[in-house]
Amino acid sequence: MIFKQKVTELDLHKEQKLAVLGVFPVVFLFFGIFQVIMAKESLGYGLLKIASSPTILITDFFEVGGVGASFINAAVIGFFNLYLLKRFKLRINGLLIAAFMTVLGFSFFGKNFLNILPLYLGGYFYALYQKIPMKNVILVIMFSTALAPLVSEIAFSGVFPVQYSYVMGASIGILIGFIIVPLSSHMIRFHDGFNLYNIGFASGIIGTVFTSVLRSFKMDIGPENILYLKHNTSLYILLGVLFLYLIIIGFWINAHALKEYAQILKYRGRTITDFTQLVGYGLTFFNMGVMGILSLGIVMLFKGILNGPVIAGIFTIVGFSAFGKHPKNCFPIVLGVLIAGYLIGMDLSSTGFIISVLFSTTIAPIAGTYGLGIGIIAGMLHLALVTNIGVIHGGINLYNNGFSGGLVAGFLVPIVDAFRKGD
Amino acid sequence: MRHETKKICRIVDELTTLFLREDTNEVDFKIKKEQDRTLIQITDYETHLSDEEIAHLKETLNAQRQYEIEEYYWQLAGETDDEAELTLVGAMIDAATVEKRAGNLYIELVRLNVR
Repeated sequence: MIFKQKVTELDLHKEQKLAVLGVFPVVFLFFGIFQVIMAKESLGYGLLKIASSPTILITDFFEVGGVGASFINAAVIGFFNLYLLKRFKLRINGLLIAAFMTVLGFSFFGKNFLNILPLYLGGYFYALYQKIPMKNVILVIMFSTALAPLVSEIAFSGVFPVQYSYVMGASIGILIGFIIVPLSSHMIRFHDGFNLYNIGFASGIIGTVFTSVLRSFKMDIGPENILYLKHNTSLYILLGVLFLYLIIIGFWINAHALKEYAQILKYRGRTITDFTQLVGYGLTFFNMGVMGILSLGIVMLFKGILNGPVIAGIFTIVGFSAFGKHPKNCFPIVLGVLIAGYLIGMDLSSTGFIISVLFSTTIAPIAGTYGLGIGIIAGMLHLALVTNIGVIHGGINLYNNGFSGGLVAGFLVPIVDAFRKGD
Repeated sequence: MRHETKKICRIVDELTTLFLREDTNEVDFKIKKEQDRTLIQITDYETHLSDEEIAHLKETLNAQRQYEIEEYYWQLAGETDDEAELTLVGAMIDAATVEKRAGNLYIELVRLNVR
């Protein structure tokens, strides 16, 4: 049995935990305004472009609407989700931190204030229909915004007359919000919790079904590749400061965070590994900061560009570092992806490859459970799959790596099991 | 569908796996559905768990009911025989008493119905 560790730390109340997270949208808002002023961006035009783009994978909002507008979009979405966490009086556990950070990160490519709302509404109708409180489903709905591009695609790709298009897109979004809760719960059995981005797997299945139906009506849905390709030093500084802030918060809550950090590395990371419960909030925030700095280091090491998709990848890692990820279980997977990328001759500095490296850590529990060798194989398999499955759902599932991770885990874990002996 | 009965069965499945794998060869379960709650009583005979492990078990099971975790992950309970999902069980129940008496471990879990 793996139990929680004995740690001594400052006892934070719920509002303080929310405030720690609230710093992110506040900083994003000010940074966005700063960028708009310095780069003389048109904020209204930028936000309009973000809201009205089809947002199919990969649509980098930095390129579509500008860096400033993208940060303001992320801030608005961040505030909205924080409000929901406060409104429904949810315990700020590791999974909620992961959900918040993931939504925040994907607000730089794919999610905007217009395309996520129908999914929340669908979740509300589901709760109403099942006569359960909305707070029971809010977490799944936050993650389900992975399918927000479907709303935008139908609303803004010109398939339907302008006067009906958003209503049509929103209706599909509401439908997805309604069905995602039972589907995501059901899909987890396929990979037994070895794929941390479970909604990515469920969304991949839903996306495949919807895309196939739309394609049968001759609607052309295919991946995009709109990327911001400028090196922007201020983004590195901003993220570096934010992750350092998490490390400092970790120290503030638990003065022995550095000394006790090895405790977190003992966990395999398989769902449910809620670090807030197992090692406390101090070590959790410390781990999030460390993982953020390491992710940033990987991007710098391979001379990648810090754009919307890459920031989403980094924030998803940071978020899930409260719910299963740590350097020890992520390293073999990342190594596997790097080896595979090198062997097949991929451009290691390209955004496509960098985000595969970052998001591949969705299957960190495989390495955490079965060790270095199997972890490397899983990473290599992941790269092979993730570069080929996007076409199936046409890019409407933002968590493409979660889809791939689910397939890798569901395929690999029973095979590993076949070679194990004992009861 | 809320799957209330199946969720109770999943809790029992998870704990059955845990005790048979890590502690004992004999375990009793009694499940009682009442109007506003469900009681799950477990007797784990001749337990080998240490006092520290029992204290940890009690703490984990009493973490707090977390409806959002339950709604998302309940189908994971009892799924594998490799690792315990005690955090999940703790998120699916409202209270737990864990006591060791005369070499046996007695556990009572209380799960309130969704209001």
